[in-house]
Amino acid sequence: MKPSGQTEPRHIKPYLYSLLAGGIVLTMSNAALAASEKSEESGGLPQLDFTTWPTQIFWLMVSFLLAYLLMWRLVVPRIGSVLEERHNRIEDDLRRARQASDDAEKARVAFEEMLANARNEASDKTRQATESIMNKMDRKMETANANLAKKMVTAEADIANAKNAALKDVSEIAATSAIDVVSQLTGMKVNKTDAKKQVKQAEKALA
Amino acid sequence: MHSPVEQFTIKSLMQLELFGYDISFSNSALFMMLAVILSTLFLTLAMRGRQMVPGRMQGAAEMMYEFIADMVSGTVGNEGRPYFPFIFTLFVFLLFGNMLGLIPYSYTFTSQIIVTFVLALFIFIGVTLIAIFKHGTHFLTFFVPPGAPKVLIPFLIIIEVVSYFVRPVSLSVRLFANMLAGHTMLKVFAGLAVMITGAGGVYAPGALLPFLALVGLTGLEVLVAALQAYVFTILTCMYLNDAIHLH
Repeated sequence: MKPSGQTEPRHIKPYLYSLLAGGIVLTMSNAALAASEKSEESGGLPQLDFTTWPTQIFWLMVSFLLAYLLMWRLVVPRIGSVLEERHNRIEDDLRRARQASDDAEKARVAFEEMLANARNEASDKTRQATESIMNKMDRKMETANANLAKKMVTAEADIANAKNAALKDVSEIAATSAIDVVSQLTGMKVNKTDAKKQVKQAEKALA
Repeated sequence: MHSPVEQFTIKSLMQLELFGYDISFSNSALFMMLAVILSTLFLTLAMRGRQMVPGRMQGAAEMMYEFIADMVSGTVGNEGRPYFPFIFTLFVFLLFGNMLGLIPYSYTFTSQIIVTFVLALFIFIGVTLIAIFKHGTHFLTFFVPPGAPKVLIPFLIIIEVVSYFVRPVSLSVRLFANMLAGHTMLKVFAGLAVMITGAGGVYAPGALLPFLALVGLTGLEVLVAALQAYVFTILTCMYLNDAIHLH
């Protein structure tokens, strides 16, 4: 029994204190209630004193009517208009934001279209330029080749003429030198035409 | 030692009489007028800047407006629009009344059953008239729950009629009882703290207990003040919805 008896007070202590505190509060409130009941004996609940009712009804009607008029005419329109203004403003801003976003989207689409067009145009132009340059080059090559061929033909003709002329001179020279040789050797004068005839025969014989 | 309910006593500040009735300007009337003036001042001054991006004050005013606007459109729908100024007034009036009452030495007019009852009765009569003007005799079908077994209908009609006519009572008593209980409790704990301190000696530190409870309760009462204004307003919206749409 002894060990349990020693531990018991420790458990009980908090309960004892709270009981004590509760007891104090209870006795005090009892005293307060007793005191209040004593003074209450004269009146009872003041709310049930009918003689105060007419004044309260009258002033309730006056003040509530005044409150209603003030709220209805002054306060409610004032707050309402501010709220409506803000509501409209927000709606307006949202609408404008949507519009701006739509515009931006439209501008983006137009820009992309323009970019694609420009790209196509550029590649077209590059192709065209390449083609025209190639054509021009081909044409120039052709004319150059043609000129060259023409020049070659005339050059060949010139060469042939020169050759012929040179050959003609050779027989002339041969004729005159034959005359000279004959006159020197024999002192005979040979007719030029005869000389030429002889040269021709000799040429033929050589050929 | 004052009684915890003494705070609810009506004290006349200025004697007035009309057609033989005593309509003296009392502490209750003073706080009704204060609620009207302070709420109007707050809501107009907060909106003075008419800023596109509201500051703290304007944000609070707009939140109150939108809170009630959402409540009306959520419970009544679009047909509730014409009643919005009334519902908004009701909420602001009760909220400021409840909140002002929490300031020490002030008066809580919503803790007066006659005040909450007259408000509730006005709403009840108004809502009933709206229903009658809108639906004529068809309004009576409101008391017949749709899809109920035929045998039960007479009983159900009795229940529905009773519950309908109890509405102003339940609506007014809910607010009144909450305010009465809350303020009485605050007073009891405050009185307790004062009394224990007054006892002096070894008891004096014990005053901390009711004082801490008082601090907690005051926070709770702020919640109750806002919540009860909300409950009163949303129930009014629901009654209005019943009147406009029946079932």
